[in-house]
Amino acid sequence: MLLKFWPKNAKPNRRRMVNTMSILVDQNTRLIVQGITGREGTFHTQQMLDYGVNVVAGVTPGKAGQDVLGVPVYNTVKEAMEATQANATVIFVPAKFTAAGVFEACDAGVPLIMTIAEHVPVHDMMLCYALAHQKGLRLFGPNSFGIISPGKSKAGFMAHKIFTQGSVGLMTRSATNGYETAFRLTELGIGISTAVGVGGDMIPGSTFVDLLPDFEADPETKAIVMIGEIGGSEEELAAAYLKKHGTKPVIAFIAGKNAPKGKSMGHAGAIVAADGTGSAQSKESALLAAGAYIAESTYQIGNILKGLGIQ
Amino acid sequence: MKLLEYQAKELFGKYGLTVKKGCVVDELATIPGKIKEAGLQYPVVIKAQVQIGGRGKAGGVQFADSETEAIARAQELLFKDIRGLTAKELLIVEKAEITREWYLSILLDRGSKSPMIIFSAKGGMEIEETAKTHPEAIAKVTVNPFLGIKDYHIDYLLDVTGADKSCKKQLSATVQKLYQLFTDYNALLVEINPLATDEAGELIALDGKIDIDDSALFKLPDIVAYRDHLQEDAMVLEARKFNFLYIPVDENGDIAVMSNGSGLLMSCIDLLAKKGMAVSSALDLGGGATADRIKEAVRILLNSGRVHTLLICIFGGITRCDEVVEGVRLALLEQAEKKTVVIRMEGTNKECAMKIVESVSDQVTTARSIPDAVEILAKKREA
Repeated sequence: MLLKFWPKNAKPNRRRMVNTMSILVDQNTRLIVQGITGREGTFHTQQMLDYGVNVVAGVTPGKAGQDVLGVPVYNTVKEAMEATQANATVIFVPAKFTAAGVFEACDAGVPLIMTIAEHVPVHDMMLCYALAHQKGLRLFGPNSFGIISPGKSKAGFMAHKIFTQGSVGLMTRSATNGYETAFRLTELGIGISTAVGVGGDMIPGSTFVDLLPDFEADPETKAIVMIGEIGGSEEELAAAYLKKHGTKPVIAFIAGKNAPKGKSMGHAGAIVAADGTGSAQSKESALLAAGAYIAESTYQIGNILKGLGIQ
Repeated sequence: MKLLEYQAKELFGKYGLTVKKGCVVDELATIPGKIKEAGLQYPVVIKAQVQIGGRGKAGGVQFADSETEAIARAQELLFKDIRGLTAKELLIVEKAEITREWYLSILLDRGSKSPMIIFSAKGGMEIEETAKTHPEAIAKVTVNPFLGIKDYHIDYLLDVTGADKSCKKQLSATVQKLYQLFTDYNALLVEINPLATDEAGELIALDGKIDIDDSALFKLPDIVAYRDHLQEDAMVLEARKFNFLYIPVDENGDIAVMSNGSGLLMSCIDLLAKKGMAVSSALDLGGGATADRIKEAVRILLNSGRVHTLLICIFGGITRCDEVVEGVRLALLEQAEKKTVVIRMEGTNKECAMKIVESVSDQVTTARSIPDAVEILAKKREA
């Protein structure tokens, strides 16, 4: 597939074969779009089709029999699964209906569930996570740009033009910091194996520590970038995992060192408790002790990777 | 959204948790009437209504044996500054005769991604100290959200803390009610401290804290009504009108930061701080803001505090760079003084945007990256 690369001076990395497996999404991904008849759903289905994604079905209750951009629409996820043997779903419905969409996808047994919406009630996500966990399904988001394996497939709304194919596994709590990083990597001629938006919420689905084993096992991934931020203990858990099992270089960046204490910075998850739990300092020192490189800006992440000879 | 104590207690009452009889006042003249109307017996406790911990230690809680004394104490407390917040309302309640103080809360635990009950037989003002010096006196147990509270949770709490087991039935009922409130109201935290036992052996919620998930407010109209009583920054309210998130950062800062994502905002604040520059306020545009709305965002930021410089970082997908710059241009037209604006933008319609920048180049500078933007700001500061 020919991609248009955003930075004009960036050279696409053509040495790699396109026909290899990636983690989470690749050419074998058969994607459902829940909420496909909505404005966002239709728009991003078009974007995904343009990128070459195999969108096999759409789901909107009451709209069965229609098709959107050539994709057949079903009333329920179960019917879509039965008709198409889909193996992933992306949920483009407003925050207040997201939980219902996830419950349905879990019940239908879709192995990979991607939620996008911002401002999903945290109690809703708690139930979604508990259900997905119980059924052994992988849930990502909410408040996430999705997942992309550049040149192969994507499930989400990220501006795919800024991502080039390569050997860096990227996972990020913030979409904008993730974009900044991907943009800089592309400028430097460094590509990405898979980028995952784990989302900025208090209770995200799969997070850093769940993804590290995937990136560790993925032969395409040579280095791992982790874009964290204040709040919670996802970075500390990742550090504990790395200390025991890490073999690939990890470059971490933690946003929010100078954010005011006790106030949410917009991401519901980015809040430092008054006692200092969730602080950037705690995260950085845990990651340093686990052998990770700490970048001071998203810009510097690319420079560190370059220094390590990663492409 | 953190509720005031009396709001929390109204919800406690709704769920059958025992609270002391009381009334809320916001002016001195109404005190005698309100106390009589509520049928309160002296002595009473007068409590400043501010959403911050450590209120008792900061002098925000007073006692009174008579009406004269109640008015005198209320006069001291009303509009008093308590750790940076002003007490606009007071809660007056009957003083309880208590035999012991427990601590009970339920919170949404990020680690286990489930509710967690926290209980201690050593409750009261010193709970934070207890957590540090005697962590073994505090019991924590997670709850499967599909199962809810079970007997074994209560047994665990009592066993670990050594609390009086004869109260099991009462504690169980209290935890059940509190858990129901926690789930119905999408709470991040519900806390009763102290959970006191009175002379008759009944458990009473003497103080209450409730923090509710802002994202769930659309299904909680009674909580939205509470918001009007809370103290919020005037700029936060102004920004909310246009659906922007405004965050006051550092009152000594003089730089404002605006972006289309909160992660990017945090990155900018950190890089500025590293160069010794303090940010006064930050604003998250969210996705897809148009020029007329961006104009308002710029106006709000440039009119807040001591701000004379604005850093804008946009990574535009849905947000178009030309809309951003046009909004900036319109806002600058209305500013009496000359301001400094540094923009770093990438993405949709960047070329169009650069043309608009030329027309306001006396006040607006563009940067190639965030570190470059910070460098430009540092240089401007020296000059």
